[in-house]
Amino acid sequence: MDRNNSGNRGRTRRTVLQGAGTAAVVGLAGCLGGDDEAEDLDELLEEDPDEYEPVEIGHWWTAGGEEEAFQALVEGFEEEYPEIEVESSPSPGGAGSALEADIRNRVVDQDPPSTFQVWPGQALTDYTEEDLLYDIEGHVWDDDMREAYLDGPVDVSRPHGDFVAVPINIHRLNNLFYNVDVVEEADVDVESIDSPSALLDVMETVDEAGYVGMAQQTQSAWSTLQLWAQVLLGEYGADVYESFIEGNVEDNESEIRDSLQIVVDYNEYFNEDASSLSWDEASGYINRGEAAFFHQGDWAAGEYEADEDLEYGEDWDHVAFPGTEEMYALNMDSFVFPKHNPSPNATVRFLRYAGSADAQERFNPAKGSIPPRTDVPDDAFTPFLQDQMSDFEGSSEQPPSVAHGLAVAPSIQTDIEGAFANFIDNWDVDAAYQELVDSFE
Amino acid sequence: MDSLRNSLQRLDPRSGHGADEPVSREREGNRFAQLRGSDFVESIPFWLPATLLVLLFVYGAIGWNVAISFTGWSGLGQPDYTNFTLEMYRQMPADQNFRASLRNTVALLVAFTSVSLVVGLGLALLVDRKIRFENTFRTIYLLPMALSFVVTAIFWSWMYASDGLINTTLAAVGLEALAFDWLGDPRFKLAAVIFALVWQFSGYCMIVYLAGLRSIPDDHYEAARIDGASTLTLYRRVIIPQLRSSTIGATVVLMVFALKAFDFIYVMFGDNPGRSADILAVTMYRQAFSASEWAYGAAIAVVLFALALTIIGPYAYTQYKRGAL
Repeated sequence: MDRNNSGNRGRTRRTVLQGAGTAAVVGLAGCLGGDDEAEDLDELLEEDPDEYEPVEIGHWWTAGGEEEAFQALVEGFEEEYPEIEVESSPSPGGAGSALEADIRNRVVDQDPPSTFQVWPGQALTDYTEEDLLYDIEGHVWDDDMREAYLDGPVDVSRPHGDFVAVPINIHRLNNLFYNVDVVEEADVDVESIDSPSALLDVMETVDEAGYVGMAQQTQSAWSTLQLWAQVLLGEYGADVYESFIEGNVEDNESEIRDSLQIVVDYNEYFNEDASSLSWDEASGYINRGEAAFFHQGDWAAGEYEADEDLEYGEDWDHVAFPGTEEMYALNMDSFVFPKHNPSPNATVRFLRYAGSADAQERFNPAKGSIPPRTDVPDDAFTPFLQDQMSDFEGSSEQPPSVAHGLAVAPSIQTDIEGAFANFIDNWDVDAAYQELVDSFE
Repeated sequence: MDSLRNSLQRLDPRSGHGADEPVSREREGNRFAQLRGSDFVESIPFWLPATLLVLLFVYGAIGWNVAISFTGWSGLGQPDYTNFTLEMYRQMPADQNFRASLRNTVALLVAFTSVSLVVGLGLALLVDRKIRFENTFRTIYLLPMALSFVVTAIFWSWMYASDGLINTTLAAVGLEALAFDWLGDPRFKLAAVIFALVWQFSGYCMIVYLAGLRSIPDDHYEAARIDGASTLTLYRRVIIPQLRSSTIGATVVLMVFALKAFDFIYVMFGDNPGRSADILAVTMYRQAFSASEWAYGAAIAVVLFALALTIIGPYAYTQYKRGAL
């Protein structure tokens, strides 16, 4: 091959590469586009459509009681609307983070599922800021629903003014589970513990009796974040807590530092293997009668109810976390109506159904949670959940959860969780306080 | 674009510059015939589709990521490409979590790579001594590398548990004082991760070194022996120097693995391992997918990419110089 020829080849290759580059840029530009305005909901919805698109539901209820609960919900919906097909679209894993990532990507691409499981409240901030959810007041939230819901759940359904979410369940966070035998042996009276700091003294007594004061997991941060939130609520009340979640960290410096210190003191009485356990492994300390107390969301009750050797009220029992007797600290799941919806007519019917007493009566017993509606008959529920339901109806405050996204926007929540990831490493109150301040900035 | 059009015109014999240039037209025709016969044109169907796909999905995606890192994109809206700033990069030095994860990434990179190389070399030298069951040992040492990070992470979190195999063994031999809370104590978290990764990858180093050892001609050993070299001198002067290229190759691979240790840490600790075990890859994921701070996540990805380039760049360059690429 002569020189001339090879020079020619070089030029051609360069030209081809330039062409390819142009094609790539054009392709990218294609991916970047897509600012179509979503249609108005009133125009989309039909009174009596001839046929429905299938309703695709994104969720992470893929195992155990959660799976049963979701199946029960879908069955109920299909009985009510036999003409609508349900497409379940599960993203298991990562305690919901897998679903979260899937949904976010799809929403950014303007290709969301019909509806999806999501924490209500401030967890919806990213969606509402970009106006990605329909206001469903009137279409779903009617007077009947308004009357059936207490203020806490109503507030988290309209985090920024408009009604955008339909809560389906409530898990309570301000629980203190205990092993009745251990508590009797240590000779402490659980009912008389009236504050988180009083609980500390009781744990010391339990420790002297030779038991673990409080079972806990510190493998991941959320359980300790949850625990701290209950300590803050119990020791200083809902007002300080409200002020904290609004971002007034420095105004409440002494309360926040003290409550962090109480958690550090609790740490003395945690099981030694706390850092290598998951929450359900930690709850086993109550099953085995090795620990007196356990703080966790009410899903932990499932661990005791499934244990044939234990009886509610006799072997294990529950009180509200000390100091929070009048409260029902909320952790909830909800469904929303995303814009660019593939099946508006089916979605609105599903959401109406999810807000009905029938749906919540089917869903919650298997999920181990209580219905947000207060008019759901309690026959299908376990005695434990029946007690929780009456606590809920009698509660005066329903503070939203920080650890489960209801109380603060996701970016703040990630930072707070990061603060607690460091806190369970070093138990340093000063550093944790400073990071909490920074989280809201 | 213009040059593309020009060259297309050049390729097309009919679009010559008018009939008043018969000579030039003839030359164009010739060139076209020549082109059609050339290897380059004939090979286009083989490499062009793959090249285009790689350009779009690898380099296009990298470029797009860099572009995002210059925006302020967060939340679920669309990014605004009209106003590029360095704001995200400016945030980094003040971000404690970023600094901690950068420090951990570098520590992991250096410690993991050097320890793996040393252990791998040791194993290779041992296995190379014509021991019995050589193949069995080789397989045993190499096996961990075949396992996915997800498997080994779960497996090691059991090993490290406070009542796990390691602490139980320590207690059984009377060393309870050394039975720490490996994954809970910030002093040991990162070291525990590094140890597990070394376990997984030293077998790979062994294989690379073993291949290097086998490629040293026997004459070198014999010549050294005849010259009266002791075993130690033999290793120091003859064997180890000839393993240089194995070392470099293995180092690059290990370092890139260390940068990507995401899966291992994510499975062990979730997206928030705490400052003592956070690495850039996990921070990037957390910022982008948990906090929806897409631009900041993208900026961290760029830093990670730059780190990978600084590792691979010099290696690729020297290989290129030597004509090996």
